[in-house]
Amino acid sequence: MLVMGRLLRYLKTHSKALSVASLILILATVADVIGPILVKIFLDRHLVPRSFDSQALWLLGGGYLALHILSVGLHYYQLVSFNQIALKVIQELRVDVFQHVQGLRLEVFDKTSTGALVSRITNDTEAIKELFVGVLVTLVQNSVFLIGIFIAMFSLDVRLATFCLALLPVILCLMYVYRRVSTKVYRTLRQELSRLNAKLNESIQGMSIVQAMRQEIRFRDEFAEINHAYYRSAITNIRLESLFVRPAVDLIYTFALVLVLNFFGIQSMYGPIQIGVLYAFINYLDRFFEPVNTMMQRLSQFQQSLVAAERVFELMDDDRLTTEVEVAGSPSILEGQVEFKNVSFSYDSTSDSQSDILTNISFTAYPGQTVALVGHTGSGKSTVANLLMRFYPISRGKILIDGASLSEFSDEELRSKVGLVAQDPFLFVGNIRKNISLSRLAVSEKEVVEAAAFVQADEFILKLPEGFEESIGERGATLSSGQRQLICFARTMAGKPKILVLDEATASVDTETEEAIQTALEKMLKGRTTIAIAHRLSTIQDADLILVLHSGRIVERGTHLELLHKAGLYHKMFLMQQGTIV
Amino acid sequence: MLLFKELMWFFKLEKKSYSIGIIILVFVALINLFPPYAVRVIVDGVAMGNLTQEKMLKWSLLLLGTGFLVYGLRYAWRLTIFGASSRLGHLLRKKLFEHFTHMSPQFYQEHRTGDLMAHATNDIHAIEMTAGVGVLTLIDSLTTGSLVVFSMSFFISWKLTLITLLPMPIIAWSTSYYGTLLHKRFHKAQAAFSDLNDKVLENISGVRVVKAFGEEEAQGESFRLLSADVVKKNIAVAKVDALFEPTIQLIIGISFFLAISFGAKEVVNEKLTFGQLTQFTIYLGQFIWPMLAFGWLFNILERGRASSDRVNKILNIKQDIIEQTGVLDQVPSGEVTYLKATFTYPKTDVPVLKNIDVVLTQGQTLGIVGKTGSGKTTFFRLLLREFDLSEGDLRIGGLSIYNITLRALRTAIGYVPQDNFLFSTSIAENIAFGKPDALLEEIKAVAEIAAIHEDIMGFEGEYGTLVGERGVTLSGGQKQRISIARALLVEPEILILDDSLSAVDAKTEKAILQGLKETRAHKTTLISSHRLSAIEHADLIIVLHNGMIMERGSHAELIASEGWYASTYRSQQLESLIAEGGA
Repeated sequence: MLVMGRLLRYLKTHSKALSVASLILILATVADVIGPILVKIFLDRHLVPRSFDSQALWLLGGGYLALHILSVGLHYYQLVSFNQIALKVIQELRVDVFQHVQGLRLEVFDKTSTGALVSRITNDTEAIKELFVGVLVTLVQNSVFLIGIFIAMFSLDVRLATFCLALLPVILCLMYVYRRVSTKVYRTLRQELSRLNAKLNESIQGMSIVQAMRQEIRFRDEFAEINHAYYRSAITNIRLESLFVRPAVDLIYTFALVLVLNFFGIQSMYGPIQIGVLYAFINYLDRFFEPVNTMMQRLSQFQQSLVAAERVFELMDDDRLTTEVEVAGSPSILEGQVEFKNVSFSYDSTSDSQSDILTNISFTAYPGQTVALVGHTGSGKSTVANLLMRFYPISRGKILIDGASLSEFSDEELRSKVGLVAQDPFLFVGNIRKNISLSRLAVSEKEVVEAAAFVQADEFILKLPEGFEESIGERGATLSSGQRQLICFARTMAGKPKILVLDEATASVDTETEEAIQTALEKMLKGRTTIAIAHRLSTIQDADLILVLHSGRIVERGTHLELLHKAGLYHKMFLMQQGTIV
Repeated sequence: MLLFKELMWFFKLEKKSYSIGIIILVFVALINLFPPYAVRVIVDGVAMGNLTQEKMLKWSLLLLGTGFLVYGLRYAWRLTIFGASSRLGHLLRKKLFEHFTHMSPQFYQEHRTGDLMAHATNDIHAIEMTAGVGVLTLIDSLTTGSLVVFSMSFFISWKLTLITLLPMPIIAWSTSYYGTLLHKRFHKAQAAFSDLNDKVLENISGVRVVKAFGEEEAQGESFRLLSADVVKKNIAVAKVDALFEPTIQLIIGISFFLAISFGAKEVVNEKLTFGQLTQFTIYLGQFIWPMLAFGWLFNILERGRASSDRVNKILNIKQDIIEQTGVLDQVPSGEVTYLKATFTYPKTDVPVLKNIDVVLTQGQTLGIVGKTGSGKTTFFRLLLREFDLSEGDLRIGGLSIYNITLRALRTAIGYVPQDNFLFSTSIAENIAFGKPDALLEEIKAVAEIAAIHEDIMGFEGEYGTLVGERGVTLSGGQKQRISIARALLVEPEILILDDSLSAVDAKTEKAILQGLKETRAHKTTLISSHRLSAIEHADLIIVLHNGMIMERGSHAELIASEGWYASTYRSQQLESLIAEGGA
């Protein structure tokens, strides 16, 4: 029940709204249960003795209707309030999960599928909403209503009310047994359903192979078997609900009715009784069982929501957070000198150097210099960029910026002075201006335009119907990949970084924007320390230092000309890309 | 109601269950008229003071008896009617699945997996609801409703009945009105929720950018706004949703008030006894449910209708790869011929393959190369009859593939597709996919040819290791090799490797090709590849470009002709040198 406790803790901040809603609920219930008492007064004081004092009757009738309307109004109000509270709680929970996920280290995102993370933040919290709105709210309301009925019963006849109280353990017992059995049956049903889904999913995706290898009949049979198993457990579920829910509650109602009737019947044999009380009791009994039915039906939902809540909290307990760095005393990046000293990295920090992705990487990029990293896919060149961006903690060695260790910088300093252009030109939904400025207050509207002009993106942006205000469809689907990349360039340049990290920034160019991208890059590199992960060798020929990586190690280093003279790996790569094959 | 007519075939099929269920349902409605009567007798006895112990005992026992009887009967009709509706779901799912197995790749290109799955689960569930809860609500609310009204007016007082039922239609009207209102608001809430979902998706896929620019707070803020919007829209839903109960309460309260006030008058006039009045109010209570149920019924029917339309639309899609009648059921073998083969994908204009002429004698190997999109995969899919040619003919051993059964054709072919899909069973079962009764020895033998045996023995469960989420995660190369073993096990006349060696290293590739050469001496093999080393040994190599054969010949001939093949070959050799570290 730890999960329940954590969920309930979210209610704390809403204690005021909660108490108001509860008070209204209690008032509504009071107004509700007084109704039959008024009828009882009418029956016993007026109808039976045939004394019809018109003033008293108007008062009773008017009072009854007024109370009724009041109760209905209050009920509506409390229903809405409880829903509001539940929805707000879910919102807080959602924001919390979201913020937590944002704070997680990049490795979590590498290892968990996007779908799973999204479904934790949205679908699972939605299931918890059902728990709050559907289960808890129903439980509270119905319990209060039942208590109200009992209080009314006690005020009418203590002895009979005590008898009726005996119903409570019977009902609770029924609920307990039902919950125990249904949990099991329900779980089987869910399991069968997920088996059914899995089989469907797999069959649909692999249908071409199924058909190519003529396994249709086998698959039909296999599906039929799972389908049948699902049907069997659906039937078991129907049986269970028929045995325990509505029919059973109705049976208990009949018992209660017989009990009440006998109580009055036997009493009447020994002397006159108040017929109005009998009426009121029968009326209360009638209304007593609806909430019981509702609560029973919500029980199976309860279990499901708890599982969802468990998953959400599990994610919130994931402690692979990015390390927060104290803002106070963070060194500043003024020059932009980057130094890697024997840096090694492995995703699995516990294992030995066998699983290293990078081994002993050392180089220095002096202020304003460009260092290029080349190598084939999987050589580890992108990892160098990821480490400099502090996306992953380094396993061994040191990275220094302006002589200070990378880990000493505050997030703010690092993010504002080190600009990244990623391989995939990622754009947010929103307009172009917003995509360039992001949430940075320091970036004025003028600077957005300047940055776009600097990377020569303004040319195509201004041609768009809305210019900088043009909104970008889902992840930039309306723009070409080269155009998107130019916007990403502008975004990075708008932050006026001291150090530039280009992670295969020229991978997504198209013929139309190729020239603009080349010119933009040349301008960007000027006066900035740049670490460029290169896809095309032509873009890095002017680099001050080129590092050739293979299997996580630097195998060659030097300038373009030096490396060509060496006639090693770089030379071969160059030949291949030139297309001039010897 | 139209949906009920549509489902008539099923009701006829389950005639017994439905008639028994409905008879019991009506019977229960009749029996339920009794308890209020028993209450009336006792209350009248109490009021007049003439109740005896025998009378009390008799009526109590009768009440309890009916209670148990109704309990049993309710259990019985639930089981018959809901059981039948579950069988409908079962039947429809089976039908749909069988339909899926007849559908061609074209169908799967046009329909997303998620949608197809939703048809087989959610939509069928909605139809099931119509055949179960829908039928129940219709019958029960009709019989209970009319019986209760009948008893109230005939046994007690038709005047009082009329007066008290006056406000009742408001319930039916308002629930249906709220329903439409709710529907609209619910849609908005759903849209807000899907925006939220999109935001999360965007944020997680762009996590690098978010982190690199320190955008966490701004992202959090926009998420907060979106989730606040979700709350707002949901509160709008709750505001309508919360109307249902109080409205019903209000109307019922007024009905009760009318019943008591007018009833009291009748009691005073001695037209009604006190017990009758009590009986009347209990009946009134029984009338609430049919009123509620009617509003609900329309909802169920509406949903069932929409779902049924969706499912039928899928079921009505005709199979597009059809066997002609009277075709031979004979596994073809021999020469593979592409005769002026031209193919255009349905709903497109540009042909993917144009006038392809290829003759491959039995036992030969064909290599197909070309850029992505040049038509390599289509070349194979036509032979498998995943699609049918637009013009020309395809023959195996002189026999057109359109003149034999699909079963026979596909028996002759072992296909290793580009996206090597494995099923989430054990490795052994995956390899034995086309021949489920294969011995472990046979499985091992093909695994060795496919150079995957050692990898498999390295797993903890060896050949019993599960594939997929619950088991090992296989590398692309391992998946490819298992796919190859899977195709080899059926000892096909024609083996197709569609770029199936792309993820294995050069050494393994060589081993596999050598293995194929040894074990498939007199059988035909078709290989497509980006890497030319995989087809270097082929008897005939064709270079596809924009759906046409640009170059053809043996490796030596193509190298000599100094075309695309020759330059690509050299560049790839250099590439592999680089991948190996330039040594």
